Amino acid sequence: MTQETKPRALNRLKSMYALRAEVDRMYEGGVEASEEGKPVAWVMLEGWSNAILNAMGVKTVFPENYSSLCAAQGMAEPFMERSEAEGWPSHLCGYARASVGYSARMVDVGGKIPPEAPGGGMPKPTLLVASGETCDARFKWFQSLGRFFDAPVWTLESPSPGIRERLSSETYERNVQFLIKELKAFVAFLENLLGKKMDWDMLEFTGGGTNEINRLRWEINELRKSRPGPMHTRDFWSVMTAALFRGAADPEVIIEGHQKMYDEVTERVEKGIAGINRPEKYRMSFEGLPPWHTLGFLDQLAERGWNFVIESAYRPMRPRTVDLSMYDDPMERYVRRRYRSLEESLQEDYEPDEVEAIKNEIIRDGTSSRLGLKHISDYQVDGVVLHVLLTCRATSAGLNLLQRKILDVLKVPSLVIEGDIIDASAFNAAEALRKAEAFEETMDHYRKVRKELGMPW
Amino acid sequence: MTSEVSKGLTRSIELYQDRSSRVKELRAEGKKVMGYLCIYPVLEMMTALDIVPYRIFGDLHEPVTEADSYMPAVNCPFLRSCLDIGLKGKYDFLDGIVTSHICDVGSTLSSIWIYALKPPFSHHIDMPHTLHETALAQEKGLLEDYKKALEGLSGKEMTSEALEAAIRVHNEQRALVRELYELKKLNPPLISGAETIQVIKAIESIPVDEGNQLLREVISEVKERSNGPQKKSSRLLVWGSIIDDTAMMEMIEGLDANVVMDDTCVGSRPYFDDVEITDDPLDGLAYHYLVDIKCSRTFRVNNYMDVHKDYMKDLEIRFSYLKDYADEWKADGVIMESVRYCDTHGYDVPGIRDYLDSIGLPSVYLEHDYTEGALAPLRTRVQGFLEIIG
Ligand code: SF4
Ligand code: SF4
Repeated sequence: MTQETKPRALNRLKSMYALRAEVDRMYEGGVEASEEGKPVAWVMLEGWSNAILNAMGVKTVFPENYSSLCAAQGMAEPFMERSEAEGWPSHLCGYARASVGYSARMVDVGGKIPPEAPGGGMPKPTLLVASGETCDARFKWFQSLGRFFDAPVWTLESPSPGIRERLSSETYERNVQFLIKELKAFVAFLENLLGKKMDWDMLEFTGGGTNEINRLRWEINELRKSRPGPMHTRDFWSVMTAALFRGAADPEVIIEGHQKMYDEVTERVEKGIAGINRPEKYRMSFEGLPPWHTLGFLDQLAERGWNFVIESAYRPMRPRTVDLSMYDDPMERYVRRRYRSLEESLQEDYEPDEVEAIKNEIIRDGTSSRLGLKHISDYQVDGVVLHVLLTCRATSAGLNLLQRKILDVLKVPSLVIEGDIIDASAFNAAEALRKAEAFEETMDHYRKVRKELGMPW
Repeated sequence: MTSEVSKGLTRSIELYQDRSSRVKELRAEGKKVMGYLCIYPVLEMMTALDIVPYRIFGDLHEPVTEADSYMPAVNCPFLRSCLDIGLKGKYDFLDGIVTSHICDVGSTLSSIWIYALKPPFSHHIDMPHTLHETALAQEKGLLEDYKKALEGLSGKEMTSEALEAAIRVHNEQRALVRELYELKKLNPPLISGAETIQVIKAIESIPVDEGNQLLREVISEVKERSNGPQKKSSRLLVWGSIIDDTAMMEMIEGLDANVVMDDTCVGSRPYFDDVEITDDPLDGLAYHYLVDIKCSRTFRVNNYMDVHKDYMKDLEIRFSYLKDYADEWKADGVIMESVRYCDTHGYDVPGIRDYLDSIGLPSVYLEHDYTEGALAPLRTRVQGFLEIIG
């Protein structure tokens, strides 16, 4: 009798593999460009610079992503050790520390890619594009790399007002103008650096490509609301790199890849196929950044019927159609196409009476307890895993507050897991698994509570 | 009432130990008292509307028990301590809070504070990160919003005249602090690093005019006294993130060293440049708070449009003021210190060390978790450092 082998816990999407391979191509492309003497930028993930750089013929590589690639291949440790030896404090962002170690190694080998570099490595940068978006590390880190490269660093401003301030239309308009002027200054800087003019038509093309990819990602995520959840968080993380960390102007391959993924997920929804090969016992959300060094931990949870149907990081924005015909300035069009006000986001995401209630709460209290929770209710989540990172303040500082809000407002419990994006030693998988087992009772309890309260799931 | 009897250093110590005593009196008299975090929420604008600015600090001696449920432990222990104290009701007397983007955790703390403590008034200034021309215009726009918010709270208009007068009185405070720091140039310095923290914390706990009076008293007292700091073998400059307690300075000064100069935010950092009085006072204020104040939170380069990069030149632009401090105050070593998990200061450590090495000034980096217990192991390291530079 042949022994039947149990299928793997995760039911991975076939369309994921092709998109994941594009990330390798991004790094290969960076190395090739550098060998051909073309400019290569090290870039932080943010919403603005990549399409501009690509439109100007600059290849982009992403140290943030490259560090996660190192971690996934178990290669980040020596780079981080080197960063400490160079004097960077050990509590700093794991991505940053891995890239500091990598840069130091580059200097050791005369500005070349270190031989031990996984994935082909990142070539020496022509420039570094830092950002004020999301975290302070993004500009402090790139500036500190000056010890290794005499490449100029541009820090792109990115406004992030307080919640009450965000409701003001004046604040919104001022921020739009700020972004336009800031990005134009960035373009002027690039023109000077590269000795060539910006190709505005190309920007419409690369920017348009980015929007199309975002739209497809959004549509795919909409499908993920189905029961059982057709696409697991691990697949989302695997492909988000291809969508967000794009190295070159032509978006077609990535668009095509996402179209295929959309089709595959649609088929799964129609056939009731889940993203895990076990019955979906708990629908989960992952809040925070991934544990790149131990992604298999989620497979262990899938064994228990935990289906991560949504996650907080790298989510696409709701696509929008805005009439830009009155704007002649291509940069203004570029900014207005993406930058939306809180008012607009509320109108899109909530029912009209809820919008008013939220706005009143914000005006009165400075915040609303309902903000930031929508995906939990939309995806009918039973439990949330909060990944508190040892080295990332930006994504960790607010997690305990989020935990309280999710429980207070939606009666959904959270499991706090401490770890890190890169540093495997900060994560105790056995202990986390023990906590997870015990957490199931809590999720069962709150399922009853929600039912008693007449909540929809 | 103590405020009527004690003066100078004694008064500073009293205020250091019981910071809210004076503002609570003022509040009882009907004044508004506004809490603010860090050094960026433009104090002149509060003063212009007769609102008393009151800086929020933590308490290194108080174990954090309440903040854990709002903010994970892997975050700035100073800010966690501020939050903890707030959650314990010790800032309940405030009429509100003004925050700014000092750092990621500072901004998050602002949302948590608003959510958990529901202050009657709150305002967040989303400061830009760079010195770009666009950023300066943005900062001014943000100050216009802040002005409106404060006017709404006070029910009064903030006239240019009132704002100018406030700038003058705050500039006077800056000049007095610099005068106090002049007395640290002597050998031995006339005032210790620990006493300096007491004085700065005291003036950040009372209205600016009272602070100016206190500074005058302190300056004449320390000039006259005979029991000032002893002369020690080393003169140190301390750079870093917040130190709002005397414990670390006492630890260092308990060894064979005088702390003669600092670049920290409960020290010289907010006071060493004046605000220029411009036609529209907001221009001068925007420039001062974004450009003049040299804190690691801001991305500084020589000329941001310059496409060439030279690391050592870059360091020179960013940190040469430390050389000026060391030269003028005759410091022979630098202690770089930071609370753990402070990213903005942490990333500057290697660059500052490279810069100090390049000018031949020895340095040591100390990291601590904002507890008394953290100081013992640091003492050994400082001792070792003093032996090297001695
Ligand atoms: S958000 Fe966190 S993990 Fe990402 S770059 Fe910033 S500090 Fe690092
Ligand atoms: S010490 Fe650092 S982390 Fe803490 S508030 Fe200051 S800048 Fe922010």
